[in-house]
Formats: sequence, C-alpha cells, structure tokens
Amino acid sequence: MIELQDFSVSFKSGTALRQASLAIRPGDRTGIVGESGSGKTMLAMSLMGMAPAAADLSGKLVLDGRDMTGADDRGWEALRARKVAMIFQEPMTALNPLRRVGDTVMDPLRLHLGLSKAEARARALALFEEVGIPSPVERLRQFPHELSGGQRQRVVIALALACDPELLIADEPTTALDANVALRIIDLLVRLAEERQMALLFISHDLAAVARATRDIVVMYGGDIVERGPTAEVLTTPRHPYTQGLLGARPNPVAEPRGADGKRPRLPTIPGSVPTLQDLPSGCRFSGRCPVELPVCAGTRPGSTLISATRLANCHALKQEVSA
Amino acid sequence: MGYFLFRRTLGFVLTLFAVSVVVFAVMNVLPGDPALTILGLDATEDALAALREQLGLNDPLLTRYVHWVWNALHGDFGISHSFGIPVAGLIGERLPMTISLAVSGMIFTVILALVMGIGAAANHRKPGDWGMMFISQLGIAIPAFWLSMLLVLLFAVKLRWLPPGGFAGWDDPVAAMRSLILPTVALALVQSSVLARVTRSSALEVMRQDFVRTARATGFSRRRILWRHVLPNALVPIVTIVGMQFAALVTGTIVIENVFYLPGLGRLIFQSISNRDLPTVQALVMLFAAIVVTANFIVDLLYVVIDPRLKARA
Ligand SMILES: Nc1ncnc2c1ncn2[C@@H]1O[C@H](COP(=O)(O)OP(=O)(O)OP(=O)(O)O)[C@@H](O)[C@H]1O
Ligand code: SF4
Ligand SMILES: [Mg+2]
Repeated sequence: MIELQDFSVSFKSGTALRQASLAIRPGDRTGIVGESGSGKTMLAMSLMGMAPAAADLSGKLVLDGRDMTGADDRGWEALRARKVAMIFQEPMTALNPLRRVGDTVMDPLRLHLGLSKAEARARALALFEEVGIPSPVERLRQFPHELSGGQRQRVVIALALACDPELLIADEPTTALDANVALRIIDLLVRLAEERQMALLFISHDLAAVARATRDIVVMYGGDIVERGPTAEVLTTPRHPYTQGLLGARPNPVAEPRGADGKRPRLPTIPGSVPTLQDLPSGCRFSGRCPVELPVCAGTRPGSTLISATRLANCHALKQEVSA
Repeated sequence: MGYFLFRRTLGFVLTLFAVSVVVFAVMNVLPGDPALTILGLDATEDALAALREQLGLNDPLLTRYVHWVWNALHGDFGISHSFGIPVAGLIGERLPMTISLAVSGMIFTVILALVMGIGAAANHRKPGDWGMMFISQLGIAIPAFWLSMLLVLLFAVKLRWLPPGGFAGWDDPVAAMRSLILPTVALALVQSSVLARVTRSSALEVMRQDFVRTARATGFSRRRILWRHVLPNALVPIVTIVGMQFAALVTGTIVIENVFYLPGLGRLIFQSISNRDLPTVQALVMLFAAIVVTANFIVDLLYVVIDPRLKARA
C-alpha cells in the first residue's frame, strides 16, 4: 500500500534518512524506535509528503502503485487525510486555539468529502463517540483550551480519522500525556486500527508503549534502519548492537516498573551521544559508539542480514556471526 | 465577562475624565485674555470687564470646569469667538469630512496591509516577500507631506485624473470618492506600510505553530490555511497596531486636510488656533483625544471577540 525503496532525505548538512526501505500493508501495526535525531520524524513526515522544503529527496516513495517522490503539494494534498493521516506529540498546540474543536474536525469532512454542514456535524459527532470523548455534543462546541490533554489528543485522533485514512502515523502521541492517559490512548489507537483495518505507524521513545501498540518494529539510528522484525522478538532478543544498547540489560521492557513520576523510564543511555548530521560516520552510523566494532565498520555501510525468516539487521559483526 | 466589561468601561470613562481635566487645565492657564482677543486692542476696560463677566471668566476654575463638562455632555461647547456661532454647529458641519477621510484611510490601511503582509508571509524568502519588504520600507520612509505634493503634481496637475484638493460633500458620491483618493493615500501609506510589516511577521510566527502543521497534515492547501488558520491567529498584534494607527490617522488628518484644502476638523483646528478661539480649540482637542481613547477601548473589546482564551480569563 505504501512503500519506501532506498528512500533518502538529505540536507546540505548531511543525510537525515539514508536509503530507507519499508513497506506498510493494510492492517500492519509497525513501531519505530530510536534515539532523538535518528530520523523517525523525518521518515514519518516523508510518508505525508511533508519533508522540509530544504530537503533533497531521492529513491522511491510508492503510494498505491504511484511514485510520489517528486509529487508537488497539490498531489499530496489530495492524499493526506484520505490515504495517510498523522497525529503529533503535542496535543496542547496541535489544534487551532481560535476554532471550536467540532469545526476543526468538520473542516476535512466538508473539504475532502464534500459533506453538508449538518452531515459533517453528524460525522464529527460519531467520530467523537468512536474515540471515546464523553458528552460529545457539548464538546463539539468547545475550544481546545477547555479540554484536558487526553481529550485534546482524542480530538486530534478524531480529526485524523475523519476521512478514513488507510494509514495512521502517530509520532510520539503519548509522550506529552500522563501515564494512565497515555495507556488509554495507546489502547484506543490499537482498537481503531483493528476495527477499521487501518495500518498504524507508531513512533515512540517509550519501548513499553511500542510493545503494547505494535506487532512489528523498526529500529533506527543516525538516519538508518538498523534492525527490524516482530516487536516481541526484537525487544526480547535484540541482535543489532545498537538495539541491544537501547534496551540495556532489560530482558522485558514491558515488565519494567514505572518511575516515581509514573512514567516508564526513557531509553537507557548508550555511552557517547548521537553525532550531528555532519559528523555521522559514512559506513555504519553506529561505529564509534559500538562496543563490538570491526575495522570495516567505519568506512563500509553494512547490508541487510537475514537473522530469521522475519528478522533483518544491518551489521558487519552480525553478518559474520550468522554466516559462520 | 461581565466583570471584564465593567472594568474596561470604567477605565474608559476615567480616562476620558482625566483627559478632560488636562485639556481644560492646559487651555485655561495659557497666557492671553479671551476678552481682549474678541474685542480687540482698542476696547475699553469697562467693555472688557463686562465681557469677562459674561463669559464667566471671573468664576473660580472649578466652577468653569464643571460648567464646561456639563454643557459639553449636553452637546453645548459654547460660542466660537471667531465665528460667533455655536462650536457644536461648527464641528457638526466639518465632522463628516474628517470621519470620511479617517475611515477611508483606515480601510485603505487594513486592506493593503493584510494583502501585502499575508502575501509576503506566503512567499517567505522569495521575491514576492523581498518586494513587499522593499516597498513597505519606502512607504515608511517617505514623509506624508512630501508624498502629498508628489501625488498632487502627478495625478492632479500632470495627468489630471483626480482633483488636486477640496471636497464638496457626499451629495455626489463619485466626486466625493474621487476627491478622497489622493488624501487617503497620502494619509495612510505610512500606516499601511507599518501594518503590512506587522502582519507579515505575525503571520510568519503563526505559520511556525503546530496547528498549522496539523492543518497541512489534514490536506489543506497553503492558501486555505493562510486565511482560515494563520490570519485569525495573527490578528491580536494586528488589532493592537490598528487601534494605535486609527489614532494616528485621525490626528494625521490635520496636516492632510490643510494640504488638500479639505473642509474638516483639521482645518478648523488650525484656523481656531491662529484666531485664539479658545472654546473651539478646547472642544476640538477634547474631541480628538476622545476619539483616540475610544479607539483603544474598542480594541480592548475586540481582543475578547478574537480570542476565546481571553474570554475565559476576562
Ligand atoms: N530542516 C532541517 N534541516 C536540516 N536538518 C534537519 C532538518 N530537520 C531535521 N533535521 C535533522 O534530521 C535529523 C533527524 O531528525 P528527526 O526529527 O527525524 O529525529 P527523530 O528521530 O524524530 O528525533 P526525536 O526523537 O527527537 O523526535 C536530525 O539530526 C535533525 O537535526
Ligand atoms: S556494523 Fe560494526 S559498528 Fe555497526 S553495529 Fe555492527 S559491529 Fe557495530
Ligand atoms: Mg521526532
């Protein structure tokens, strides 16, 4: 349905996404994890045709059989909301503060689906009910500042669902929310994806959230996809040195107790820090920080190694191990 | 909300009161004897004394202030010393001219500024943006007085498209509008250049906000986002400036009316000052001040209409 083939996003300062390949089919629930700056948002925004104007795109982005790599704004505007929709991290600022939330949700219904005002209102009401907003009739008339963070995120989800998208991208949808609210939002997203046969691309720092929301996972570092496979397998038996570092010694992140603030701990720190785009090594992006680095790593980019029927990782050391 | 309205209205009334005290005080401590001004240097001391008594100039200051305010509230600003007719009538005749000019200046300012400012923001870092910045810089730098003469020379004297000055009232609306064009441009070009820049930077700031990204992700075109989401959110600083500009436009009419020979309050204030016509000057200064204060009051109320968050806090 939507597919990236060797898709890259480059800036003058460096490459934010390097030859990423990823296919999302109807009903998929895929997670993306990786440290800050690893290119998760860049990948997501590319799927919306919303990569920064300064970016240079190459490779292929195929949506329903159409190559969208060079598509202009107009081409993308016809697909956003109807094919691909996206929700963002910050529900506090994601909605126009001067518009009633009902009007905001009715906007795409009227514009894209050509519904009358009354029809759009009825649909908005049904959407509010579907995403679990209590007393939806009154809520339609309220302004964003009158709603709690969780309520607002539900409005944002209702807005994203308005035109029945085939893929919903959620970029850290729960990071700004309380732990309990976050859990309910995750369960809501999973339920919606299943009921609507909608694909879900779930980006998060919170491994427990990703474990709960997704079936497959993609691990990113420095603009590269470094490991992928079924979520449960990757999180319990990580194979790529970076994924192992990301998970630390934790065998099962889902069982990890919450911290004093009620949130699950963020990703454990790996020694060193993510280099800036200019300073990324040209070979394996992780070389320099990798505990098992080989001489070949810094200069040569590792290809994909099949670890099992469903798992892939890009690492020189792993390749030697598997082929040995 | 009710409390907010009450507070703002109270503030408005108190400001007007303070302004009236200042205006009255300044006018009445100025040197010069109105009786002498009216009767001339060769008047007899008896006649002067009688006139002073008649004008109430011998009453205590407070009594005179209370009289002035009380009468003014009833539409009576006294008799003009130089014209010999009621000041209220003088003002009434000339008010439509000045209001026409100020309002057309305001409309010109707002429309030109919004189109230029939003257009520039939409073309940020492109030629359209640079062009607008350059033109508005020129608009700000050119003095209104000089611009007026330039406009008259070009459009009235050389091309003969528009009248060089004068205003014959609204009986013939086409002629009235034609005579307003040059004065309006001369009056408002600076203000609209300033406002265009404010609009541009305010819109650029809003365009960086998350909800604009949400709107883009919802498949809205940039143009629709600009008018539906960006402009309303950019309005608060714009309205603030517009309020101050309305005051500037009203006072700006004084110069422009004199340049274009327009029979409005601006010309009247000039004439009354040179005639030392105290009641007229006093009434006009008070009127101009009241217009400015009222404009600010309206802006305060507009904020609440624009932004529902303020309504909650108000
Ligand atoms: N407009 C831009 N110009 C140049 N570089 C950019 C631009 N936008 C993002 N980048 C760079 O692209 C890289 C990837 O950023 P991205 O936002 O995708 O990371 P992320 O994985 O989403 O991180 P986070 O977890 O902090 O959200 C970063 O190094 C960032 O500095
Ligand atoms: S390719 Fe080399 S540097 Fe990169 S993760 Fe594997 S071993 Fe480490
Ligand atoms: Mg991000």
